[in-house]
Amino acid sequence: MSTRRSRRAPLGAALAVVAALALAACGSGSGSGGSTADAGTPDASAEIVIGSTNEPTGLVRNVGGSSGVSQTMTRNVFEGLTSVDVDGQVVPTLAESWDVSDDGLTYTFHLQPDVTFHDGTPLTADDVVWSISEAIGPESKSARKSDLLVIQQATAVDDSTVELDLSRPSQGLTFYLASVTIVKDGDTELTSDNGTGPYRFVEWVQGDHLTIERYDGYWGEPAKNAGVTFRFFQDTTALNNALLTGDLDLVIAEDSPDQLVQFQDNPDFTITEGTSTTKQLWAFNDREAPFSDVRVRQALYKAIDREAILSAVWDGYGQVIGSMVPPTDPWFVDQADVHAYDPDAAEALLAEAGVSDLEISVDYIPDDTTEAILALLTKNLAAVGVTLTPNPIDDATWYQKVYTDHDFQTTLMGHVNPRDVLWYANPDFYWGYDNPQVQEWVTQADEAATEAEQVDLLTQVNETIGEEAASAWLYLDPQIRVARADVTGFPVDQVTESFYVADIVRES
Amino acid sequence: MRLALLRIGSLLISLAGASVVVFVVLRLLPGDAAGATLGVGTTTDQLDQLRSELGTDQPVVTQYVQWLGQVVRGDLGTSFVSRLPVADLITQKLPITVPLSVAAFVLAVLVSVPLGVIAAVHRHGPVGVAVSAVSQLGVAVPVFWVGVLLVLVFALRLGVLPAGGFPRTGWEDPAAAVRALVLPVVTVAIAMSAVMVRYVRSATLDVLDQDYLRTARALGYGRWHALARHGLRNAAVPVVAILGIELATSLLGAVVIENVFALPGLGTLLLDSVTSRDLPVVQALVLLLTAVVLVTNTLVDLGQRAIDPRLRLAKEVAA
Repeated sequence: MSTRRSRRAPLGAALAVVAALALAACGSGSGSGGSTADAGTPDASAEIVIGSTNEPTGLVRNVGGSSGVSQTMTRNVFEGLTSVDVDGQVVPTLAESWDVSDDGLTYTFHLQPDVTFHDGTPLTADDVVWSISEAIGPESKSARKSDLLVIQQATAVDDSTVELDLSRPSQGLTFYLASVTIVKDGDTELTSDNGTGPYRFVEWVQGDHLTIERYDGYWGEPAKNAGVTFRFFQDTTALNNALLTGDLDLVIAEDSPDQLVQFQDNPDFTITEGTSTTKQLWAFNDREAPFSDVRVRQALYKAIDREAILSAVWDGYGQVIGSMVPPTDPWFVDQADVHAYDPDAAEALLAEAGVSDLEISVDYIPDDTTEAILALLTKNLAAVGVTLTPNPIDDATWYQKVYTDHDFQTTLMGHVNPRDVLWYANPDFYWGYDNPQVQEWVTQADEAATEAEQVDLLTQVNETIGEEAASAWLYLDPQIRVARADVTGFPVDQVTESFYVADIVRES
Repeated sequence: MRLALLRIGSLLISLAGASVVVFVVLRLLPGDAAGATLGVGTTTDQLDQLRSELGTDQPVVTQYVQWLGQVVRGDLGTSFVSRLPVADLITQKLPITVPLSVAAFVLAVLVSVPLGVIAAVHRHGPVGVAVSAVSQLGVAVPVFWVGVLLVLVFALRLGVLPAGGFPRTGWEDPAAAVRALVLPVVTVAIAMSAVMVRYVRSATLDVLDQDYLRTARALGYGRWHALARHGLRNAAVPVVAILGIELATSLLGAVVIENVFALPGLGTLLLDSVTSRDLPVVQALVLLLTAVVLVTNTLVDLGQRAIDPRLRLAKEVAA
């Protein structure tokens, strides 16, 4: 759910440059900020083809794992009571509105009228109760299950009203409910595809594509295109070639600036740069020496020239951050300078901590970007007398060795999810950061009476983990998309797990 | 008859051996499908629960016996990760990988056999030297690089062929499917031809040096005539062995090429399944590929004996 599986064949960067040079396209570029606006005459019968390297591993709902299924299906095919919109705000969806009792323990959701599933049956409160119960039930493997366990009971008051009883007040409830997609009562099919969204699921051919088509009975504003096909690629060169030859309308995410050369200065394409919530981390195993010593973590953090790393990897795109919180989360404070690059201070701190000749192993899943980061990290740390030993491993090994067994010293990893700063309040999480004060603030924040209070408390959490260098946050990925010039209406930022496609249009 | 039974018996033993090796090796690797499926954010309890559902918490021997029982009944099982039937996943990919491999192989044979013979006959002339040099180059250049160059020229620059992918409707539109396969086929064929030309050339050279060919020349046959009449049949014996190996590797070589051309074939599936420890899929694929190699070897053997009666005699005497 939170890490993005990004695989790239080793031929990526260099070949892209060669391709770009050989093509030598001419013309002047057109970059656009904000949200891409509709222009020309949108073709409501157009089928949009989107290229992605983030394929779902399966279509089973309520299972953590890859972000691929959320990206393609959530909001497009399946909907929740609430949604997180493209700006990161919680908005009503299948729930038209909700009331909260004074003690914050009872939420009453009033369902949107006239909602039908793709098989034509109307949505009822029973369907909602069923879906929520499944998400928190004993069989649930949802990565959000622990966040949702605050729900004691879900009850259908009448056909269009659902009541949720909580064990304690929860400011985060409506946010977490966005990840609970509503299916028909009793629907346990592993690849259940009967949702309420603007699109109905057509087919998924593993390793190739996933197709959805506009659902004409949709209760809300209908999709502006006739359907969308997500095509999945393992190799980014192949992905970009498909865009160049007109086989794709849009690429969701470019992984490195090398690939952009061939689209820049080409009037046939639009490049957008938005923000993402993907944080690149050098995570320490905080439960083990020497990383259990806050001074060592701070020293290591100060030894890193993050600006240099970002510019080497992203060539001017992206943003240096100082904590787990991206600017789009409500509790963001800019901490990029708290442990700014200062090798002298790093050496002093290491000496103070009594650490010398430190040798650190780094577990990482190799791809071009990670290799580049590692090379610069190694150089930075060598300058303060720390030796890094790279240990390349694959996805499945990472999950076992690092995530499950905590058998690691440090690791490089990209974390995609919004609002995942809360993991620093879980001492059993893979990085093992254990600060009782932080844990208490997080608990209080969720139980807070007002949103302002919640934001206040989480801001303190944010500042504390930043100050204590719980991990070394290297930078925030930019969200770079490339589209054919006649394709507009796609979200520019990626601050949610879903990629909402209903507003995408192609001019006829 | 006895020979055929022996053949089938050894084939089954080899398959069983391969299945054990694959099973054990895959389970010795760190990492499990449960972790790769659920990802960050899930709890240890949830992981344990999934492992128990998948049966990966059982002892390896138990897992192996269960799996073997399924396979014998013709059930390849269910993918750990996508929960789709393994048999469906594989049959979905066959209409891409099989035509790709076979077409590449046929094209390679059509190109490399004549070229190899020409290179041998004109070994000191400019044509022979040129063919040898080009085939050297073909062996040295990585196959993906050839693919990328072809895409660059024919898809991106000239725009005459697609850069990759396969029609979503599969073979419903044969013209589109064929167009999608042209560049991958040529890429694989180039790599295979480069290897084969060298073998054909050296096999032909061996034959050219034989006494019987010199005798034929002495009897007044022209160089080509002598070769055609007496040489090629003999040269074919080692060549057939190489063709067999190449046919099998053409399937395996698809891994790299399917990636470059974004083709959803067996190679892509295998790569993906290994990365996510989707063991039922990997096992089935390895078993399938092993079977193909073994069957090809048997065919090669039969082919060689059909060509060269001396082999038939030798084997019969030995048996």
